[in-house]
Amino acid sequence: MAITRRQFLQRAGMATAGGLFGPQLFRNPLLSQALASTIGDRYFVVLFLDGGNDGLNTIVPVTGALRAPYEAARLTGAGGLRIVNPLVPNAGPAFLDPNTGGQLGFHPGLAGLRDLYEQNMLAVIQGCGYPEYSLSHEQARSIWERGNPFGTLSNGWMGRYLEAPSSGYLGSDIPAVNIGDSVAGEYLQSATSVLVFDRLNDFGFPYDDYYDDDYAAKDALFSALHANAAASGNSFMQYLSGTGASTLTAAQQYPELHDQYIADRLSWSQAYTDSDAPGLNTSTARGLREVAKVIYGVARGTIPSNLRARFFQLHNGGYDTHSNQGAEETDGDHFLLHQEIAQSIKLFYQDLADMASGAPMGSGLQNLPDKVVLVVWSEFSRRIQQNDNGTDHGSQGPMLVVGGPNAINGGIYGNHPDIANTDDNGNTPYSQNNGDGFRSTDFRDVYGTIMKHWLGLANPSPIFPLDSTVGLLGDEYWNTANFNLPFL
Amino acid sequence: MADWNLTTARHLLRRTGFGATRADAQTLLDRHATLAGAVDELLDFKPSKFKPGGRSIEDIHNKWVKYMIKTRQPLQERLVLFWHDHFATSNDKVDDVDLMAQQNRLLRINCKGDFRALVKAVNRDAAMMEFLDTVDNRKRQPNENYARELMELFTLGVLAPTPDSGGQSANYTQEDIVQIARAFTGWDYNDKGVAELNENRHDKGDADEDWNPPRGPKVIFKQRGGFNDANGQSFDAGTDWAAEIDNVIDIIFQHRYGPNGNQRVTVADYVARRLITYFALGTPSTSFVHAVVDASGFAGTWSIEALLRALFNHDDFYLTAVAPGPATAKSVKWPIDYVVSTLRLLRMKLKSKYQYVSGGDYATIRDQLINMGQLLFEPPSVFGWDWDLAWASSATMLARYNFARDVTAARDGGGSSFRPERLIDLSLTDPGDIVDAVTDLLGIDDQLTTADRNACIAYLGAGSIDLDDYDVRNRKLHGLVCVLLQSPIYQLQ
Repeated sequence: MAITRRQFLQRAGMATAGGLFGPQLFRNPLLSQALASTIGDRYFVVLFLDGGNDGLNTIVPVTGALRAPYEAARLTGAGGLRIVNPLVPNAGPAFLDPNTGGQLGFHPGLAGLRDLYEQNMLAVIQGCGYPEYSLSHEQARSIWERGNPFGTLSNGWMGRYLEAPSSGYLGSDIPAVNIGDSVAGEYLQSATSVLVFDRLNDFGFPYDDYYDDDYAAKDALFSALHANAAASGNSFMQYLSGTGASTLTAAQQYPELHDQYIADRLSWSQAYTDSDAPGLNTSTARGLREVAKVIYGVARGTIPSNLRARFFQLHNGGYDTHSNQGAEETDGDHFLLHQEIAQSIKLFYQDLADMASGAPMGSGLQNLPDKVVLVVWSEFSRRIQQNDNGTDHGSQGPMLVVGGPNAINGGIYGNHPDIANTDDNGNTPYSQNNGDGFRSTDFRDVYGTIMKHWLGLANPSPIFPLDSTVGLLGDEYWNTANFNLPFL
Repeated sequence: MADWNLTTARHLLRRTGFGATRADAQTLLDRHATLAGAVDELLDFKPSKFKPGGRSIEDIHNKWVKYMIKTRQPLQERLVLFWHDHFATSNDKVDDVDLMAQQNRLLRINCKGDFRALVKAVNRDAAMMEFLDTVDNRKRQPNENYARELMELFTLGVLAPTPDSGGQSANYTQEDIVQIARAFTGWDYNDKGVAELNENRHDKGDADEDWNPPRGPKVIFKQRGGFNDANGQSFDAGTDWAAEIDNVIDIIFQHRYGPNGNQRVTVADYVARRLITYFALGTPSTSFVHAVVDASGFAGTWSIEALLRALFNHDDFYLTAVAPGPATAKSVKWPIDYVVSTLRLLRMKLKSKYQYVSGGDYATIRDQLINMGQLLFEPPSVFGWDWDLAWASSATMLARYNFARDVTAARDGGGSSFRPERLIDLSLTDPGDIVDAVTDLLGIDDQLTTADRNACIAYLGAGSIDLDDYDVRNRKLHGLVCVLLQSPIYQLQ
């Protein structure tokens, strides 16, 4: 799809007339005025922990009223899941539960996140969920991805952001990159292109080099068949057409980002896949390396402006720990999962900081850690009562927000779930009662806060419509959202 | 009863096999006076006992793919693929290729048989018992994993299509999951992969057991399921503990949804809808689903074959036979369908036990499928794969483009080479005739638009094409087939 002059002017107008960030946002001369979305010179990364991360063994009560019920439910001995020695930060904001005042600690696999916390680079938001929570992986994941628990919106919450007129993206733009096989649920939409790849190194259009004099003719036929598909009026053909066309464009442009990163930052590239380093050479580390490659290229403005992605998603699986979860032994399933994300995220931010150090004035690389926010979520947490050697599906869990020390306000937000008094399902009760010390956090408040204060959408309410319609039990839900959680 | 003509014959073959050319359809049309007769022929097979045995996951994967490429019963394999997705089990967790191959044979033997019997067999399938933690399910610490997915994914679905008279749509409660998990406590399998019950680990419900709390009578569906009995439905089998898991299935298969006086059998509509979505179209209408279920008697006999017969004879099955327009609900080929169809249409084999394509990157078929987003025996989760547009991202489409390049660049592999000279008439010289021959070969001649055909002709070049010229023949025929395999229309079923 070509950008018409009228569309160009419309979008250019938005960039200057929007005024959400003021002129300082556009001080980078490399930043395309034509493509400025409301995110400005910032980046946003979503990391999904697939399977239902056991939040109760992620952020663990160390002292206070919650430790005893924790120890009653999480056992020691064979198959026991009790964390005996949680990691308590030595610096940064106090790591205390806002409700009970008890000391909290990280699972010992999360040393990397503890380190980030000590540098004011991590906000932990406890007790995130939604009322009438689902214990089905598929349903719960879909609810989180759509950001619309009882409604019927079929696109993702980030998708609705990308297709909002204020974002100004066209089908020919590639504002988002997902690492993996398929477009992540939160990015589903139909207005613009979400590029998906596993490894940039493998990304390139496959020509038959035996007949290299025929490339241009094949490109022309490929493009013609895709244009015809777009004109068919059939929604599947149009989707395949858009995906194919943007794949061809990106496959011609994106591999350069890999080459540049390897050329300039070989030792950093190797660090992500260091098989001797705990938690690295893992799917999450390799995925974040791909994100780092794209950010490096986008920040330096080395690919065409309409291909400069600023929104990312990656996922890590294996969190459905019904069995063999393990406590703090270093070869336990949950320990390894925690170690993987903690060490990978830590290295990613070190990489960003190194890119920024010594960057010339006006370079998009300047202050890079403070331009990147990463949020971690999972579709639910797990039962406080353990089974033989694992845990079944549970309710609310913690979300993590990572960013440079000037990007976020590190600290602990939201209340630890009430593990002493479980609901009918045996889970920590989800509470929306403002008078309740154990009041939970609606995950949409976290996303809405990010959208308002990081992605620059002044009013995120249309993205997260209130569930004013009747919920499963006939109550009205979620009438307290304000998108003003203070972690940003 | 749908019409019986070249279009419907083509569609029937396309959806029940791996690719169909005009000639294939004509042959079927010539052989049968009626659609019903053709459907009977397609369904008239005795399921094979083939088991893709091997020592590694690569072995069993490649054996299955090879079997699909050469099978004379493509419908059987399309059904095994469906059930593999439906009862998704991953070797990533099971970590035992014998058990995975054993499950594959179980799905094949039962692919069109009694669905209720199939679910009962899956209860006892060793790979499934590993995958959903039945082997870790003990009376004192029950594991709910299998009980939940049994209802959510295998039989009922979370929500009923229509609410009951009380306005409730949930098909079951958490309490039902807890109760069903009791029935499966203590199950394990022996070193031959045969299920057996360790009664010491089974929840016998005794009041004097030394653990707490006893979980009360063994009943399910006190609130849901249309039974209208607050006491629930008992799956208690006295001391025949092993029978409890069969009783649970028998009760689940009696579950009904919808308002009083207008209830329907939940399992029948749920499974029928999935099969119709797989074979026919993405979002089948309620009336289509009901018609197929009712005409087949599926809700009583549980005969998958009868359900398929009703489906393939139904008008709505043929709604998507025509070329895609604004109102045609097309489906996207699964990656395995894309690969197997292409190799069958081009009459190519894969090379060696590694089953690689002998051209381009010389990648194994398993690596190609991984990149396309469908690794057999390792579905991404218990939900199986996401279908249709979820198959098509830039990553997975690029993998399809790679495969198209590799197969058309396969020049040096004997039987695994791409040899267009064997597939089309080389005496053709008119560009239009050549395009028609190629699109006919790929089975998309009836789906392309005139604009598509013109673009292909433009690619070949103006004037008379001399296919006897080796270079022209290779460069242009390879290129044309390659780009058509990459085209949007070829991605559709």
